[in-house]
Amino acid sequence: MKIRASLIAFLFCALATPSVLAQADAEFAKATQEYAQGHFKEAISGYEALIRSGQWSANVFYDLGNAYFRTGDLGRAILNYERALALERHHPEATANLQIARDEARALEILPSWPERYLQFASVNQYSIAAATAFWLAIFAVVTLIFSRRRSVTVIAMLICCLLVFAAAVGAIFTFDRGSKGRALAIVTGKDVQARLATADTANSVLALPAGSEVKILSTRGDWIYAALPNNLRGWIPAKNAERVRLL
Amino acid sequence: MGRAFLIGILAAIVAAGSTFADSPSVTAVLSNSEIVVGETVELQIKVTGPGDAQPPEEISVDGLEIHATGQSRQFEIHNFATSSSVTYNYTILPLRDGRFTIPSQTVRAGGKLLRTPELILNVADAPGRSSSARPSRGTQSQSVSAGDLLFAELIVPKKVAYVGEIVPVQIRMGFDPRVRPRLIEPPEITGQGFTAQKLQQSGQTSETINGRPYDVVTYKTAIAAARAGKFEVGPVKAKAQVIVPRRRSAPRSRSPFGFDLDDPFSDPFFSNPFAQMGERREVEIKSEPVALEVKPLPPNAPPSFSGAIGNFVMTTDAQPKSVQVGDPITVTSAISGRGNFDRVNAPVVEDERGWHKYPPSSKFKQDDEVGISGTKTFETVLSPNEKKQTLPVLALSYFDPAKEQYMTLRSEPIAITVQGGAAATQNVTGSQPPSPSPAIAIAPQRTQKPQDILYQLTDRPATAESFAPLYTRTVFWTAQLIPFLALIGFAGWKIRGARIDNREARRIAALHHEASELMHKLRHDAASPREYYAEASRIVRVKTALASGSSGIDPNVVDAETAADTFKLNTDSRDQLRRLFEQSDEWQYSGAHNGPATISPENRREVVELIENLK
Repeated sequence: MKIRASLIAFLFCALATPSVLAQADAEFAKATQEYAQGHFKEAISGYEALIRSGQWSANVFYDLGNAYFRTGDLGRAILNYERALALERHHPEATANLQIARDEARALEILPSWPERYLQFASVNQYSIAAATAFWLAIFAVVTLIFSRRRSVTVIAMLICCLLVFAAAVGAIFTFDRGSKGRALAIVTGKDVQARLATADTANSVLALPAGSEVKILSTRGDWIYAALPNNLRGWIPAKNAERVRLL
Repeated sequence: MGRAFLIGILAAIVAAGSTFADSPSVTAVLSNSEIVVGETVELQIKVTGPGDAQPPEEISVDGLEIHATGQSRQFEIHNFATSSSVTYNYTILPLRDGRFTIPSQTVRAGGKLLRTPELILNVADAPGRSSSARPSRGTQSQSVSAGDLLFAELIVPKKVAYVGEIVPVQIRMGFDPRVRPRLIEPPEITGQGFTAQKLQQSGQTSETINGRPYDVVTYKTAIAAARAGKFEVGPVKAKAQVIVPRRRSAPRSRSPFGFDLDDPFSDPFFSNPFAQMGERREVEIKSEPVALEVKPLPPNAPPSFSGAIGNFVMTTDAQPKSVQVGDPITVTSAISGRGNFDRVNAPVVEDERGWHKYPPSSKFKQDDEVGISGTKTFETVLSPNEKKQTLPVLALSYFDPAKEQYMTLRSEPIAITVQGGAAATQNVTGSQPPSPSPAIAIAPQRTQKPQDILYQLTDRPATAESFAPLYTRTVFWTAQLIPFLALIGFAGWKIRGARIDNREARRIAALHHEASELMHKLRHDAASPREYYAEASRIVRVKTALASGSSGIDPNVVDAETAADTFKLNTDSRDQLRRLFEQSDEWQYSGAHNGPATISPENRREVVELIENLK
């Protein structure tokens, strides 16, 4: 009985998935068409609906960023270009448009630390694969050494190399996760946003943040977020004025 | 003998004196007739005269809480006349303010009824009372000690200030070093209408005040009034634990009739701390409040005024001084002086035309403990949009309370070189008729048209992507099962190989051992021919099995031909080997009586040599 129910559910999913994809494709095409006709707000609605349904892709975020750019909302344009690049590091169109939007908004960026600069030739996912591969090779080398009658220099050298690669990859993952483009990265979407010393609109200002500026969210208290700012200071920003780049 | 006589005469005189002493009398006194609510006062009833006295057990007065605290007895000799007196102590705690009358009390002494006089106690309600200003004379031991052994003092140098003006404040707390004080609550300035900065301890000195030594701890802070009006700053409150003399069962006389009431140092505890143990008590220390008049700031503040009040100077520098259009120039403005630096904002650019200004950063280096004086440095990045010859003027306005007027500091024009881009605005306007007002000056034009964004992308991947890093996804960890299973298989394979190797090694070792044992027997034992040939053929079989290596031949199935082939023997040796096996079989299967009973040494040597040559 259970097997039959599972089989029916599987068949239902198998049949429903193509229709969902077809619907998403239709929504995407419609939004793109609205954009082409200059109906940017309608295009934004279309792309946002697609994103709300979980159909995330670099191109959708890129197109949404373009639509926001056309409406003059540079903060959200930059946010969506950043999202496109978070999904696909090498997205040339998003990189180019992000630079244009930043120049236009005079947005402030968080400078990457020197380890980030040296490690950015690979992505977090690539480092994850490298770490896993190095880990298992090291384990295999250890097993080989345990059962071999004599200690092979080659196997020992391979073990050391694998452990070094594993440590470096894990360090890189940690650096990226906590770094300027990590999971805490947020973009200022509001206009004339002031980072303040305390959670009050009357508190002294630490830094004026143009729309599209990068901040790193450190903690949240009520309607305020405590963030690391591009000038290495920290301040409180109204939560409604900043959005995380990485959607979870 | 003479001394005993003298003592007897003196005793007689004392007895006579007592006999002829005055009749009993009673009096009552308050240690203080003017107190405030919360303070205690001591009532002492002194009965002079012979005999026992019965003091009033309870004195009840509405609004006063009166408790007996003990009694003390004194003997006095005046001109060979002795007198004794008993002092009964009561502690009075007023529960409210007002004028109280302690009625006459009846005391029975020497068989007579005596009456104390009526006493008047005035109790005031004064919230600003202070232990230092009002040392509680004649009250409880704790109060006496606290009042005279420690004090707090609030020093506000200014009596008039402006709203927001930083007023330095000093707090002095003095402790008699012998009470070994320990602050359990740091001093705090109470009051409303002003903000106070964090207290900073600035030093500790030893001073003598009114002939008494004190350890004086000085704290510094600053206050700023939040609104205009008249305020009371303080009092300063603190709590400390001090060691005071332990109260004795018969209290030391503190009355006007006996010892010095004002001097707590006369307590034996201080003259000899080991005479009796002190006890640690918690006391509150208060200072007197200080009046402060706060005036509002005058109207018509300059536009660049951000609330800074004090006295400041400004220096400005810029780096680099030679740039291209659009390049950043970092302008450093250092504001030094004395005032409320938390309200000193970055100097404003008076004319931003042709410039793009980025938000400034600031850092403050204070020169004193409380941050009233110091240097606040601002770094503002300016980017020229066109050719410029000087940096724009930076202005900072503040209110000078000494001069009672607003002041504006302006930076000197700093010459710079800007290359590229359009001509400077000044040059453009200079070629035109002079404009009467800056409002109609030509606005700078952008030198570059903003670049347009790239095209829209029309393709969309079939599968949705995820922001979650790979190492947080289930599929990543599920994939680790593949190498894990491979590892288990690899380890199993290695373990099996090791076991096989181990079994073979044990077999070979056993064969080696057997061969060596048999060889030893062949050389040394005088075995019968049957046993000798059997052992010899066995050695050949074992050696053949060992020599066969990985083929693993069983020694029991080895015959002469196999052994000869394994060791690649020549014809003679092959024949010898055959004979050896034949003789072994004969002795084994044809019985022990078909040949000689012993083997000749020559035969033994031949057999041993043949076996030793099997390599």
